[in-house]
Amino acid sequence: MADAAGESLTVMTTEPEGMNITQSGGGAFGGELLTVNFGPHHPSTHGVLRLVVDLDGEQVKRVQPVIGYLHTGIEKQMEALRWQQGVVVTDRHDYLSPPINNLAYALAVERLLGVEVPPRAKALRVIMSELSRLTSHLVWMGTSGLELGAMSMLMYCFRERDTIADMNEEISGFRMHTSYIRPGGVFADATPRFLEMLDTFTHKMPGNVDEYEALLTDNPIWRRRTIGIGRLSPEDAKVLGATGPMLRGSGVAWDLRRSMPYSGYEDYDFEIATSDLCDCYGRYLVRIKEMRESVKILRQALDRLPDGPVNVDDRKMLPPPREELETSMEAVIHHFKLFTEGYSVPPGDVYVAVESGRGENGCYIASDGTHKPRRVKFRAASFVNLQALERMALNHYLADMIAIIGTADTVMGDVDR
Amino acid sequence: MIPDTLIVDRGVTAGDAWLTVDSSNVHEALAGLKADGYTLLVFITCVDHLADPFRTWPARYELLYQLRNMETKEQVRVRAFVDGDPPHVDSVWDLFPPANWDERETYDFFGVIFDNHPDLTRILMPDDWVGHPLRRDYPVGGEVVEFSEEHALWQTPPEKA
Repeated sequence: MADAAGESLTVMTTEPEGMNITQSGGGAFGGELLTVNFGPHHPSTHGVLRLVVDLDGEQVKRVQPVIGYLHTGIEKQMEALRWQQGVVVTDRHDYLSPPINNLAYALAVERLLGVEVPPRAKALRVIMSELSRLTSHLVWMGTSGLELGAMSMLMYCFRERDTIADMNEEISGFRMHTSYIRPGGVFADATPRFLEMLDTFTHKMPGNVDEYEALLTDNPIWRRRTIGIGRLSPEDAKVLGATGPMLRGSGVAWDLRRSMPYSGYEDYDFEIATSDLCDCYGRYLVRIKEMRESVKILRQALDRLPDGPVNVDDRKMLPPPREELETSMEAVIHHFKLFTEGYSVPPGDVYVAVESGRGENGCYIASDGTHKPRRVKFRAASFVNLQALERMALNHYLADMIAIIGTADTVMGDVDR
Repeated sequence: MIPDTLIVDRGVTAGDAWLTVDSSNVHEALAGLKADGYTLLVFITCVDHLADPFRTWPARYELLYQLRNMETKEQVRVRAFVDGDPPHVDSVWDLFPPANWDERETYDFFGVIFDNHPDLTRILMPDDWVGHPLRRDYPVGGEVVEFSEEHALWQTPPEKA
């Protein structure tokens, strides 16, 4: 048991059951290892990820991620905020897919309260989740392409990402941290202009994905940098707890939207994207396929968007409409109570998992019956997926680390919370 | 198969199945559940029940292990109550490799010592941090601004846990 600074921050020094990391010595320089610091401010680490890499020549023999540079105490902050205020914080841990984090939190609070949102709210939640999955994959593809030499990818990907940001702005007033999905429903109904923009977008986007594929799928440089790099066998992926495109890129058809549906995903027709290549290129193909499937889901959601309210009809949970405040004393009392004390959630605990762009992002909430949570824990997909980095990078060249970190698609805000 | 003698209590809360085991039996219970097909450890965390106004708890810290069977899609949450300063529990890292970082995080935030963990160090907080910030007696905003004058006083080496 040691705690002091300067102690080595070793990850997996001995082999756990079911894993077979072989650290063979005797390489180019007779097994003499050189320890290199990688990051935290390296542009290709997608944030502030620091890696301590042991090299034999140019070959990676050990990787120790050092995390925590972006720790913002989100879980502690949640304990000091009322239930409805917490939504704003959930936007900010996995900052590339805010609506999906909102959804995990909202579903968890609703399960504890025992309320179900109206069908229109469910469909709008699906629309916002899929849009944010698209932005998340677009940012991933743009930056990963940039790092591996496909400079123009960033421009193409951010073009569509900006369209989605415009749509976020139209529906919620914010471009990134929308806080759109809240316990009890959504912030506001979709405007006609938003539906119009979404309609145009779903028609245009498949062509745009073809464009990305034309730039990358058969690009010889991209293929040489990703095929056979960062192999993660299905067994290892399962043992290491990887989720999302990391797991599906290893050929395991596990997608929470299908496997354990939530928010009405069981009603949509889409395929789970998988690839048997188990390498960086496989994970790229999975994300491309997922983008196409997301557009399919968006199209279906838009075509059969149900009418009706977008919030639960519960004055103890959501404030009354503004016009009622002038005529109803009861409405004034509810309004006052909600904005001073907030509502209380029955004691108990619950875990809700949703599929984000990078895997299983869950929210565990323990309530003690008061108007603030006792404990909120975010199960971050990036945090778990990052542990598979050593397995993927072993015996590859240092330059391949860029491709491996890229296709692992970790968001450091999510890792460090 | 997990023997019934290990289970102290079981139930369903808000649709989630859970069972409570004695904190000394955590490793044995999780090994049994893993053999039953609960092969994915979703997360490990801890809840600090200090001064709960509505309920009395068996101990201050409640450790939670969320497990999932990926074939049958069943989930179970294993609870274990621990007390003591610092509280001790066996590591399950040898059963579930992802538990490595989860246990380090729980140690970092709550000061729970996981025995037999290969390298139980702080993971998200700086190595020289004092205290365990997610304990309920640790105030929000209690830390000093880094590089300020007070920070020099605050930055003392941590006690050996």
